[in-house]
Amino acid sequence: MTDIALLDADEQAPLEGVIKGEVLRMYQEVAEHPEGEFHFYHGRQAAELFGYEREWLDRAPPGAVASFAGVGNPHLRSRLHAGETVLDLGSGAGLDSIIAAWQVGPTGRVVGVDLNPTMCRKAEAHAAASGVRMACHEGRMEDIPLPDASVDIVISNGVINLSFRKRTVIRELFRVLKPGGRLSITDIVSAKQLSQSIVNDPKLWAS
Amino acid sequence: MFALLEEAGFTRVRSTIVPGFAFRKESTRDAAEGYGVKAVLFTAQKPAT
Repeated sequence: MTDIALLDADEQAPLEGVIKGEVLRMYQEVAEHPEGEFHFYHGRQAAELFGYEREWLDRAPPGAVASFAGVGNPHLRSRLHAGETVLDLGSGAGLDSIIAAWQVGPTGRVVGVDLNPTMCRKAEAHAAASGVRMACHEGRMEDIPLPDASVDIVISNGVINLSFRKRTVIRELFRVLKPGGRLSITDIVSAKQLSQSIVNDPKLWAS
Repeated sequence: MFALLEEAGFTRVRSTIVPGFAFRKESTRDAAEGYGVKAVLFTAQKPAT
């Protein structure tokens, strides 16, 4: 939620590694045990709260809906068109990718990027069960494994706040977008600088 | 985030607060409110040229 200007480089690297591990653990837990209790609302309850169309949620695989852990609805302003190439940054269990794939149609393409290879395979399986294709690449949002100017639109849902290097992430989004490309992302922001105790707490950062 | 998008070169940057977002656990929700934590929908465009 904040840049970590309070830490020097020697302190930053190990903490970043711990937080990466906690992020992986927490979101894998949501995917594998969606019946669990978390700091955030998730699943169908959260998706309906954010205005996801019921038709989408009825049509998508139950596993993709149950594992939804977004913080809003990037589809409200995405204005996707048939044939477009979409990057879903932090694609998780794949619900947003599947919804995007329905909109861009068979001439379009959806590419997911996720830190967790297990989640990538799960998202691809959910997409296949929905009758659409997505290709998910394991990778870091600070170093997106896609060429320059290769996507028409980036969608993302509650992911960028998890990075220690938000400036780098935003530059990467700019790099992979084609000229005239656009983004529609929902994320968490804070009005005040977070305390050092929160920054240093991987569980709080990951939530 | 808004400033970072503009700094990177994006134009037509817009932000809208996501209605209804809240943390589920009361303790997290209270802490988040203290820091002005909100969910926001951002849109922006990379210049065409």
